[in-house]
Amino acid sequence: MKILVPLKRVADPDNANKIKIAPDGAKIDTTGLEWKPNPFDEYAVEAALRLTENGATPKVRGGEVVVVTFGPKEADTTLRQMLATGADRAVRVDTTDDALDGSLVARALKALVEREKPDLVLMGKQAVDGDSNQVGQILAELLGWPMATFAATLQEEAGALLVGREVDGGVITLRVKLPAVVTVDLRIVAPTSVYSLATARTHKYADGVRFSALPAIMAAKKKPLIEVPLAELSPDTSLRIAYSKFEPPPVRKAGVKVPDVAVLVDKLVNEAKVL
Amino acid sequence: MTTLPYAFAEEGCYPTPEHRLLRDSVRAFTRSAVEPQAAEHDRKGTLNRKLFAACGELGLLGVTVPAEAGGAGMDATAAVIVHHELSKSDPGFTLAYLAHAMLFVNNFYWNASDDQRERYLPKALTGEWVGAMGMTEPDAGTDVLSMQTTATRDGGEYVLSGQKALITNAPDADVFLVYAKVEGRITTFVLDRDMRGLSTTGPVHKMGMRGSTLGEIVMDDVRVPAKNLVGREGQGVTHMMRNLEIERLTLAAMSLGIADRCLEIMLDYAAERRAFGKPLVDHGQIQRYIGESFAKTEAVRALVYAVARTVRHDTKNRIGSDAAKLFAAPVGKEVADAAMQVLGGWGYCEEYKVERLLRDAKLLEIGGGTLESHQKNITRDLFALAKG
Ligand SMILES: Cc1cc2nc3c(=O)[nH]c(=O)nc-3n(C[C@H](O)[C@H](O)[C@H](O)COP(=O)(O)OP(=O)(O)OC[C@H]3O[C@@H](n4cnc5c(N)ncnc54)[C@H](O)[C@@H]3O)c2cc1C
Repeated sequence: MKILVPLKRVADPDNANKIKIAPDGAKIDTTGLEWKPNPFDEYAVEAALRLTENGATPKVRGGEVVVVTFGPKEADTTLRQMLATGADRAVRVDTTDDALDGSLVARALKALVEREKPDLVLMGKQAVDGDSNQVGQILAELLGWPMATFAATLQEEAGALLVGREVDGGVITLRVKLPAVVTVDLRIVAPTSVYSLATARTHKYADGVRFSALPAIMAAKKKPLIEVPLAELSPDTSLRIAYSKFEPPPVRKAGVKVPDVAVLVDKLVNEAKVL
Repeated sequence: MTTLPYAFAEEGCYPTPEHRLLRDSVRAFTRSAVEPQAAEHDRKGTLNRKLFAACGELGLLGVTVPAEAGGAGMDATAAVIVHHELSKSDPGFTLAYLAHAMLFVNNFYWNASDDQRERYLPKALTGEWVGAMGMTEPDAGTDVLSMQTTATRDGGEYVLSGQKALITNAPDADVFLVYAKVEGRITTFVLDRDMRGLSTTGPVHKMGMRGSTLGEIVMDDVRVPAKNLVGREGQGVTHMMRNLEIERLTLAAMSLGIADRCLEIMLDYAAERRAFGKPLVDHGQIQRYIGESFAKTEAVRALVYAVARTVRHDTKNRIGSDAAKLFAAPVGKEVADAAMQVLGGWGYCEEYKVERLLRDAKLLEIGGGTLESHQKNITRDLFALAKG
């Protein structure tokens, strides 16, 4: 199986308080931010690796995982990181971070999918910066491919994927014919979430995403990473979303201490109106 | 665990993207696999062999071994990164890792024959075998050249007799690199646990570094085949001296890891804890602990990572590695002590980890060379280099 995994770098979610907004409110000031791969995208890479190997012998590749990101030269770091965890090839669509929206990314990805011809586009359900949750859906629509969102489990079948989606009160299982677009939720990296045809159903993965082994870090230097100008994939680089102003959330007001439960209930009923 | 800012650009520590990837990977591994087990092994005084094997899987055990031989093919800076990051959570385990990956694997790789590499490296690199290195003896520590262990040629074998003391990993080890004198000349041998006449004692109970085990290697007329002679007779001192540089550098990196972690703990606590109507960070005497700890830690970071770039198996910078360890070890201990002072009574209790880190930090003023031995070496080297 050949899988394309789009990924986005985001400001380190563990250091969200470092995010600064330019004084005129026109944009987020990205200088000095520590970039990390969007966690859901890392999960997608992990799931893609699991789908292209036998879990018992992960050093032997049984398929191809191509990672793609959009951004300036420095975004190569994010791609190299994924090559070091096991992805086979990387593509950077050259652009600046503020010249993008979900629609443009999806349009460019469509062109890339037509070039690369993957069996599956596997991606995070959303990026933790904008939380838009839309690129996967728009891409599936543009391609006219089947789509499954918020996958918690994936099981490969011949020419199809069984996708488990967690919903209120249970799990829905969809059989999706390939090629398809699938977006993943955080449970996709649990020990028994993903099975390729080659992996025994008794196999248990370590919980979470895999660490980059040292030899793989060195080997990643030699893996192909190509650069494609954005306009080559999408001549129309116009944006559908215009951001008018950025503002930090209001500073939280100090809490109040209540003397007893009766006062607490009274406040919840009458002031907060949550009961 | 958060990461505090450095006083200078990160490139000063991580010269290539691979070094950064290595740091991120070891950091993630440390948080999820090393941190949660540290307190338990400290309490029990045991080596976590499962974690050791996990290090093998990650390729950490052969960090400095070339890729052709199954290692990661990385440099001294990479070795520093690994020890630095692991020590933030568990210096005791890191010491066991160091004894294996630096004292045994690195030393063995650079001096062994192809046949010996083939016989010993694969299992040492996966962690199936734990290695130890025996230099110190009950009556020869700093004055190591006065060692008493002898090796006597007897046909196709050498007969080893003597005792090595204060040896990290001895109780757990499967393979041993030991120094013994052949007709008075120090010579290196590789020994297996199941050789007749070889035994180990311990684990010895000790103040800190309790995630590693310590004991003696007793050699009672151990018959060692000549194919287990590493290098040539009389080359032991060269092997030992050449390897000491990366050993001291990585020990210094451990002090840096301890200092980083303690600084982080003290800062978090001082921001939360209030006394006399304001947080501890607003008290001047507490600011002195924090400010000085940061400045000292950054000085260690700059020195250790700068020296790391000059250490290779085929070049020499003894004065640099001695200076790095001489400066780093007391800083690790002082910053841990400052953290305990800032935490008051809670710092003295297990939960906040600084009492363990303080116990661990002290070892670095002794093991791999005492502070006094570094002072002696530096003065001698300075004199020789400056005065010819
Ligand atoms: C936890 C731990 C792990 C260890 N792991 C290993 C290991 O894996 N392999 C190994 O071979 N060894 C190991 N050692 C031994 C360590 O290297 C020695 O403890 C160290 O070299 C000091 O030797 P010593 O303890 O015999 O002290 P001594 O050499 O007896 O020193 C005692 C004191 O005298 C001072 N002194 C000695 N000579 C001089 C001098 N010329 N001038 C001024 N002062 C001097 C010393 O600095 C020290 O303060 C380990 C030790 C410990 C505690």
